[in-house]
Amino acid sequence: MANLKEIQRQIKSVSNTQKTTRAMKLVSTAKLRRAEELAKRSRLFAQKTNQVIAEIAGRIQCNKVGGIDNRCFLENSAPQVVDIIFVTADKGLCGGFNMQTIKAVRRLIKDYENKNVKIRLRGIGKKGIEFFNYNQVEMIDEVKNLSSAPDMQRSSEFMTRSINDFKEGIVDAVYIVYNGYKNVITQELHVTRVLPVNVEGYDCEEVKNSTLELEAQDEEKMLDSLVTKYAEYNMYYALIDSVAAEHSARMQAMDAATNNAKEMVNSLKVKFNKARQEAITTELIEIISGVESMK
Amino acid sequence: METLQLEVLTPSGPIYNGPAKSVTLPGEEGEFGVLPQHVSLTTLLQAGVVDVHKEDGKTESIVVNWGVVQIARNKVVVLVDGAVAIRGASEGDIAKALDEAKALINSVGDSNAMIASVSARIETMAHH
Repeated sequence: MANLKEIQRQIKSVSNTQKTTRAMKLVSTAKLRRAEELAKRSRLFAQKTNQVIAEIAGRIQCNKVGGIDNRCFLENSAPQVVDIIFVTADKGLCGGFNMQTIKAVRRLIKDYENKNVKIRLRGIGKKGIEFFNYNQVEMIDEVKNLSSAPDMQRSSEFMTRSINDFKEGIVDAVYIVYNGYKNVITQELHVTRVLPVNVEGYDCEEVKNSTLELEAQDEEKMLDSLVTKYAEYNMYYALIDSVAAEHSARMQAMDAATNNAKEMVNSLKVKFNKARQEAITTELIEIISGVESMK
Repeated sequence: METLQLEVLTPSGPIYNGPAKSVTLPGEEGEFGVLPQHVSLTTLLQAGVVDVHKEDGKTESIVVNWGVVQIARNKVVVLVDGAVAIRGASEGDIAKALDEAKALINSVGDSNAMIASVSARIETMAHH
């Protein structure tokens, strides 16, 4: 009989877990919808900013003797120091979501170390920070509780430190590594170079035909200001994209957990019924054999 | 009547998207107005108030903390970092928007004279 009670206890515990995972899935679904919406609205800003930057950079490149000389636009083929910013979630229970980012960061670090490039790691999100702390990888900057609630001001503050180092020449390139949202069931890992800015070719014909009014001394100043915002914005976008991906990953993980719990309850029920049947059979045999011996 | 198409974009989404009769912008070198058929121009904005004069004669104010404006072919695109539109269905909503606007301006904090003048403008809006 003890066995029966044990199985019953297990069934109860598993179905309680199932309730929790199902609730978590529903919460993630609701949060995902909101995060997705925010990311979509935010993309408009990105398009316009990129367009304005390309336009001004193009003008400087084509009109100035010697081309553009802003550090933020110069390709550096042999960087000495590289900043890697990674974004992970603050919480677990979202499948391989965090691990994918961490693996990508480690791969990147290894690649650069082979080329004798110094890496400076800046971390966002508790999970990634804990991992690198545990493995005794040094980080120069760490921020928690930002990836679960992206905030433009806080992300800008964080990014400014990296941007300033880049402008001063301490760092030669800045990368952001994060797991982004592709669709409800897939996440996509992004390794984006924020600085120097990637500008795809300059079209001088277009610049000549442009009717844009701009004073030459303004161009440089504007570009500088824009690039800062561009980098800050990229950081912010990585955060909101990552939060959407986190929720979609958690949704999936919790869905799988709910299904597994369901299966487990079913098999436990079968086990329970078998045990009960067995107990009844044993009792019957005992009674019958008792009657038989009395004869 | 001719109108221009105005778009005010922030990293968290558009805050204004629609036609306008004219718009007044806080440029780096002083406030300037834009009417339809304005010459193409791209310039920086400083913290201040964007006044949108709408088709129905009403004016809507949007407080911004930084920005870039691109004007081309009757289309005005304002890219801003943080923006608060002073509008709302009730007085409570508007008061809340004004408080947010003040907080936004105070967070800029490089030039005190500028903050004071913008704050003063926000205060006068509060009395209307």
